[in-house]
Amino acid sequence: MKKKQISDESLNRIIKYLAITLLFFGVIFLAMQFSDFWNWILAAIKTVAVPVLLAYFTSLIVFPVIKYLEKKGVGPRGFSLAIVFVLTVSIIFAGFYYLIPRIVEEITNFFNRDVQTIITYLQTGLRDDFIFGTDIYDQVYTYVTETDIISSTLDSMIPNLINTLTDSLIPLLSSVILLPILLIYYLLDYEVISEKIRSVVPQKNAKNVAELGSRLNNTIGAYLRGQVFLMVVLGIVATIVYRLIGLKYYLVFGVLVGITNVIPYFGQIIAAVPPIIYTFIATTGPGPITVLAVNLTLQFIEGNIFQPLIIGHQLSMHPIVIIISILFFGSLFGFVGIIFASPLAASLRVIYNFYREKKQEKKLNTKAEANTS
Amino acid sequence: MIKKNRPKISTQFEINAIVFYANMILLLPLILVVTYLFEIDKFLNINEFMFWILIFNFVSLVTGTIVLALNRDRLRRKVKVTYRNEFFYLVFLFVFGLLGFVVLYDFMGGDRAYIANILVVLFAGLLYLAILLGRKYFNLYYINKR
Repeated sequence: MKKKQISDESLNRIIKYLAITLLFFGVIFLAMQFSDFWNWILAAIKTVAVPVLLAYFTSLIVFPVIKYLEKKGVGPRGFSLAIVFVLTVSIIFAGFYYLIPRIVEEITNFFNRDVQTIITYLQTGLRDDFIFGTDIYDQVYTYVTETDIISSTLDSMIPNLINTLTDSLIPLLSSVILLPILLIYYLLDYEVISEKIRSVVPQKNAKNVAELGSRLNNTIGAYLRGQVFLMVVLGIVATIVYRLIGLKYYLVFGVLVGITNVIPYFGQIIAAVPPIIYTFIATTGPGPITVLAVNLTLQFIEGNIFQPLIIGHQLSMHPIVIIISILFFGSLFGFVGIIFASPLAASLRVIYNFYREKKQEKKLNTKAEANTS
Repeated sequence: MIKKNRPKISTQFEINAIVFYANMILLLPLILVVTYLFEIDKFLNINEFMFWILIFNFVSLVTGTIVLALNRDRLRRKVKVTYRNEFFYLVFLFVFGLLGFVVLYDFMGGDRAYIANILVVLFAGLLYLAILLGRKYFNLYYINKR
C-alpha cells in the first residue's frame, strides 16, 4: 500500500507552528534571565492597575446617575458630579456615623462579657461536650499543655499574619485615598477619555472596539450595580432576621453578611461561621441550627430570587469559573482581586463571545461573497 | 391568525394598581421594619406609632385610589412588553414586607420560638404569589434559566 505523502501546505504549517513555539520558549527563557527587572515592572503595573481599575469600576456605578441627572437638565457636568459626590459622601458618612459606634459597642460588650465565658467553657465545659469522648480530650489536653504548641504556633503565625495584612492593606488604603481624585477627573472627562482611548485604535478596528467597549461597560456596570444593591439588601435583611431570632451582636453579624457578599460563594460561608460558632458557645439565644438555617435561606433568596432579577441570567457564570477566577485574580491582585474576580471573569467572557461572534460573522460574509461570485 | 395561547399583555393601569395595593397592604410592616432596623422602637410607644401609621395608610389608600381612577384611561393606553422594574420593586416590597409582618408579630408579643416557622410559611406564600403575578401580569418568567 502506498503511504500517503504529506502536502507542502501542511508541512509549511507544521514548520510555522514549530518555529512559533520555539520562539515563544526562547522569549520566555530570555525573560527569565531578567526576572528582577520583570518583577519590578509587574509591581509598577500592579500599583497603577489597582486604583485605575477601582476608579473604572466605581465610575460604572456612579456614571448612570450623573447621566440621569443630566437628562433631567441638571448640568453642566461639574454640577451633576458635585451633587452625586456630595450625596455619596454624605450617605457613606451617615452610614459610618450610625454603624461604627454601635459596632464598637457590640465588640466591646463581646470582649467584656463573653470572652471570659468562652475561656471558661474551653477550660471546663468543652471536656463534657467533646464529641470523641473525655479520654481523648484528656490526652489532647495533656499534649497541648506539655508541648506548649498553641503559644509557639501563635508566635510564628501572628508576625506572618501582620505582614500579610500590612502588605495587602497599604496598597488597598492608597488605592482608597487615590480613588476619589481619580474618579472625579475620570467622570468629568468621561467622554473625552473614552474618545482618546478609541483614537489610539487603528481606524479599521475602531467600530469593533467601540462596540466591545460599550458591551463591557454594560455588562460590568450591571454586575457591579447589582452587587452593591445586593450587599445592602442582604446586610439589612440579615440584621433584621438575626435580631428577630434573638441573636446577640446581630448588627456585627448582619454587617458581616452584607460585606462578605461581595465575594461570591465563599462570602456567605465566611459570614455564617462566626455566628454559628458563637451560638455553640453562647448559653442564651438561638441554636446553631437556626442560624445555619437563616444563612442557608438567605443564600437561597440571594441566588434564586435577587441575583436573577437584579444581575440577570446573561451574566450568571458557572460556579467553577467563578471559583477559578477568584483564585487566579486573588493571587494576582490580592484582596482587591478577590472582590473584582467576578466582573473580571464576566468581562473576559464578553470579550470571548464578541470575538467568536465577529469570527462567525466574517465566515458568513466570506461564504456569501463566494456564493455571489 | 391570532394564536389561542398568546400571552396576555397587561396595561400600565393593571401593573400600577397591583404595585399600589401591595404597597398599601405592606406599608405598616415596611415602616415597622425600618423602625426595627434603626432601633427607633426603643424610643417610641409602638402602639401609638402603629395607630398613626394606620391613619396615614388609610389616607394614602384613598388618595392613591382616586389618583389611579382619574388616570385610568391614560394608563390603560400604555403598554410595555415586560414590567421588569415594577416587578423588581414588588419583590423588594414582598421581602421587606415579610420581615415587617414578623416584626409586627414580635411587637404584638408573639412567642419568639415560632418566628422561624412563621417566616418559612409566609416566605413560601409570598414566593408563590410573586411567581404567579410575574407570569400572569408582569410577563416575567424569571425562574426560567433561558
